[in-house]
Amino acid sequence: MSLRELDLKQEPPCTSGLGNYLWSDPPDEKKWADCVHCGMCLESCPTYEQTGQEQHSPRGRVHLIKSVAEGKLQVNEQFMDPVFQCLDCRACTTACPADVDVGGLIEEARGQIRQAMPLTGVKGAISKFFLHDLFPHQNRLNTLGSLLRFYQKSGMQKAVRKTKLINVMPQHLADMEAIMPEVKEPVKKKYKDVKVIKAIGETKQEVAMLTGCVMDVMFSDINESTINVLTRNGSDVVIPQNQTCCGALHVHAGDRDMGRKLAKQNMEAFKDFDKVIVNAAGCGCMMKEYAELFKEDPEMHAKAEEFSEKVEDISKFLHETGYEKPKAEMNTRITYHDACHLAHGQGIRQQPRDILLDIPGVDMVHMPNSDRCCGSAGIYNITNPEMANAVLESKMENVPDDVEMISMGNPGCMLQMAMGVQKYGRNQKIVHTVQLLDWAYQKEDGMREGEE
Amino acid sequence: MKAKDRVKSQDKHILNLAHIVGGARSILYLKEDLVAYDCDGFTIHKHLPKAVVFPKNTQEVAEIVKYCSKNELPFLARGAGTGLSGGAIPLNGEIIISMVRMKKLISVDLENRRAVVEPGFVNLKLTNSISDKGYYYAPDPSSQYCCTIGGNVAENAGGAHCLKYGVTTNHILGLEVVMPNGEIVEIGKDGIPDAPGYDLLGLITGSEGTLGIVTKITVRVLKNPEGKQTVLAYFDRVEDGSQAVSDIISAGIVPAALEMMDKTAIEGVEAAAFPVGHPKDIEAVLLIEVDGIAAGIQEQIDQILEVCRKRNVREVRAAGSEEERARWWANRKTGFGAMGAISPDYLVQDGVIPRSRLPEVLSRINQISSESGLRIANIFHAGDGNLHPLVLFDARIPGESEKALEAGSQCLKVCADVGGTITGEHGVGIEKREEMRFVFTEEEIAAQTDVREVFNPHNLLNAGKLFPSPGRCAEVKKEMKAQAIS
Repeated sequence: MSLRELDLKQEPPCTSGLGNYLWSDPPDEKKWADCVHCGMCLESCPTYEQTGQEQHSPRGRVHLIKSVAEGKLQVNEQFMDPVFQCLDCRACTTACPADVDVGGLIEEARGQIRQAMPLTGVKGAISKFFLHDLFPHQNRLNTLGSLLRFYQKSGMQKAVRKTKLINVMPQHLADMEAIMPEVKEPVKKKYKDVKVIKAIGETKQEVAMLTGCVMDVMFSDINESTINVLTRNGSDVVIPQNQTCCGALHVHAGDRDMGRKLAKQNMEAFKDFDKVIVNAAGCGCMMKEYAELFKEDPEMHAKAEEFSEKVEDISKFLHETGYEKPKAEMNTRITYHDACHLAHGQGIRQQPRDILLDIPGVDMVHMPNSDRCCGSAGIYNITNPEMANAVLESKMENVPDDVEMISMGNPGCMLQMAMGVQKYGRNQKIVHTVQLLDWAYQKEDGMREGEE
Repeated sequence: MKAKDRVKSQDKHILNLAHIVGGARSILYLKEDLVAYDCDGFTIHKHLPKAVVFPKNTQEVAEIVKYCSKNELPFLARGAGTGLSGGAIPLNGEIIISMVRMKKLISVDLENRRAVVEPGFVNLKLTNSISDKGYYYAPDPSSQYCCTIGGNVAENAGGAHCLKYGVTTNHILGLEVVMPNGEIVEIGKDGIPDAPGYDLLGLITGSEGTLGIVTKITVRVLKNPEGKQTVLAYFDRVEDGSQAVSDIISAGIVPAALEMMDKTAIEGVEAAAFPVGHPKDIEAVLLIEVDGIAAGIQEQIDQILEVCRKRNVREVRAAGSEEERARWWANRKTGFGAMGAISPDYLVQDGVIPRSRLPEVLSRINQISSESGLRIANIFHAGDGNLHPLVLFDARIPGESEKALEAGSQCLKVCADVGGTITGEHGVGIEKREEMRFVFTEEEIAAQTDVREVFNPHNLLNAGKLFPSPGRCAEVKKEMKAQAIS
C-alpha cells in the first residue's frame, strides 16, 4: 500500500501531534534533548555491529525520530525499518553518558508507526493472533500449553521430526521447535484454589508473584522453583488470579493501547500487595516502566509510578531480604548471561551472580560481553529472524567452551540461547538463576532425608 | 532476489556504485537513511550526502574513488562519525565512503611491537585484544569506545594520556592509502620506523581526510606500564589548580595524564551517567595519573600530594582501588556527552595555550560566557595545555547556534592571542576554518593548499574542510590566475 492510500485511509484522530507525528502520545521531546550526538552508544548496539549503518544505531535512530518531529521526515516504511530493527535491548542506555532513554523513544515511535501504518496481510494476522488473541488470555495460553504437551507426549513431535514434516516450517520456527522445553502444568492453574502458599517456617513477609505468560506455559518449573525459593526463605506467596500478561510484547510492537489496558489490569490485580516478585527480566522491566504509558494521564501516571516501586526481580529481592545459603555441593561449571532487561533495563548485574556464587561447588566462568543481547528480544526472533540469528551467532561465540550450564534470568533469552546451543552444536544446559538455587536446596533436602 | 537486496533507484551513479560494493546492503541512498549521515559529532552544520557506500576491502575503495573521480562526484571517507570539528560532514552532497565494515585486526606482531588494522577497527578494541598479553595501544581519545583508528589517523587524535606518550602520529608506522585518483600506495612499508625521504606518514596523519583515504594502518603497540596510580585533587581556586599543574611538571614528573575540569564541567559530569560525587562548590578538580616502573610510583605520588597541599588543595587523595580509578576515568572520559544532561546542545572547542596562562585564559572565557549569555564549561588536558571550552546552547532557540559559534571562535582567539593555537586534537574540519587565520597568514594558508593540490588536484575529496573558504584568501587569486591563463 502506498503512503498516499494510507493517508486517505487513516484520518489522524487529533491535531495535537508533534511535527509529523500525528497521533497522541508521540516521542517525548525531553528524551532526545539530552542527546548531543557524541556517538558513545555506537559500539554497544548489536544492530550497528551487524550492519555498520548509522540509521541502525542508537544515535542514528534518535536523530531520525527527532527529524520526524521537526517535520523533515515522514512516518513511512523507510522510517519504520530502523525503528523496528532495534532489539530494544537498552545497551545504549547503559553506554550513554547523558542517560538518553533511547528505548523509551523507540517504543513511542513504534506507537506512532503502528497507528499510521497498521499491519495488514499475513504479518498483521500473525501479530494480531499473538498480541491480541493469545498473550492476554491465560486460558488460551493454557490451551496452547496443553496442545504442546499433547504434541510432545503423543509421539507427534517424534513423528514430525522423523517424517521431515518439520522441513515445511520456516527455518527459524523449525529451530525453535527443536529446543522447545518439556511443557508442564502452569503454576497459575495449579495453585488456582490456593489463596496463600505458606512460607516454610516463620513468615517474614507476604509477596505476590507474576507468573507471566511464556514463563508459565513454557517454563512452569521455573515458576515452581521461584515459589520454592521464596517460601523457603520466609515469604508467603500469593498468585492473584486476575493478573495478566505484562504487556511488554505489545509495547515493543507499538501497540501501546493494549499495553495500557494490560497495565491497568495488573495494577488492579496487585493493588493489595507491597511486593510484586517477577522472575522474567522483560516483564519486570516493563512493569517498572508502566508510568511511561500514561504520560498524558497524570492520575494514572502517579499510580503507575507507585506501582513500579513494588515490582522487584526475584534475584534482587533475595539479595536484599536475605536467603539461606545452600549446603549441598552442586559441582558444576557455569557461566552467566546478563538478560538485557535485567542488566540494562533494571541495573541488576551483581545480585544474580552473588546468588550463584553462594551455591557450593559452583564454578563460575566469565562470559566476555555477557551483557550483549542474545537476539531474543521478546518476539524479535520471530519478526526479524535474520538479524536475530546474526546477533545470536556473535553471542554464542562468547559462550566459554568448558561450561556445563548457562544461567540467566529471562525466559525469552532461555529459548533463544537454547536455540543457539542446538544450532551451533554446543552442549550447555540453559537454566534460570533461581532454578539452580532451588536444585541446590532440593539436593540438600535429599541428602538430609538420606541421612535420616 | 529479496526486496531488501534490490536497489530501487533510477540514478545511474547509485546503480553503478551499488554494483561496485555488491548490492543494496552496501549502499544507502534514500533520504530517511541518509539523514543519519548529515552530520558527525559536530552538529551545527548539516548536509545530506548523495549516498553512503560500505566497501569491504581496499580494491572496492579504489574502485569507488576512481568512479567518483572520473564522474566528478565529490566524496569523502567516514569512520564512526565521532569527530568534533565536522570533518565527515558532506558539505557538498558527497558520496560518503563508510569505512566501518573494514574492521579487521589484520595482524599482531608483539615481538616487533606493532599491529596492523583496517581503518574501521575501533580504537579500544586494539587494547582489548592485546591486553591479556600485557600490551596496549596508547592514543586514547575520550571516544575510544567507538571511534575508529582510521578516523584517528585522519584527525591525528589525541587523548588524556598523550601528555606522556604522544598523539596518534607518534604511533603510526605505516599506511596503505587510496589516493584521490584511485591509486593504491603504501607509505612506511613493513612498518619500519623513520624511513628515509620526506615524512609522508606525518603529512597524511592529521590531514583530515583531504589527501587520501587510509585503508590499512600499521600502529605501534606498547608494553603495559608495570604500575599505575591516579590522584584526585579538589581546589577552591582555579589559580591554585593551575599553579599545581605547573609545579608538578617543573618538579620533573611526567604524568601519564593530567586533567582538569572546572565548576560547570563538574556540574555536567555529576548530573550524568557516571557521577563520582565531586563537591559542587569547588572551582577545579585535577586528575593526575602516573605510570611506569612500579618502584618509582609511590615516590611520585607523594611528591604530587605534597605539591597540591602547598597550593592550598581542599582535598587530595590517591585512588584506593582499581575500581575507584576506573570510576574517576569513566566520569572524565564521558565528560563531553555528559553535557547533554545539563544542556540540549554543546559546541566543544579545542584551543592550546601555554599552561602558565590558564588562569588568565579562563577568566577571559568567563567574560565571553557572560557577554554571550551562554554557559561555558571547561575540560582541560592541563598537562599539555589543551583546553576544551564547551559552549552550552539550545539549537531550538533561533540565533543561539550562531551565538555559540561566535563564542567558540572568541575562545580560540583568546588562545591564539596568548601565544597558543586553535586546535590540539579535534582538527579544524568545518568548525575552525576561519579561525585558521588567527594563526596563519594568507601566504601560509596558500602554501598548505598547494600541498593539498599535489595529492588532491581536483579537490573532490573532502572539499571545503581544513582551510578557510576561498573568497578572502589567496586561493581565489590563484584560481583567477588559473582561469586567466586557460
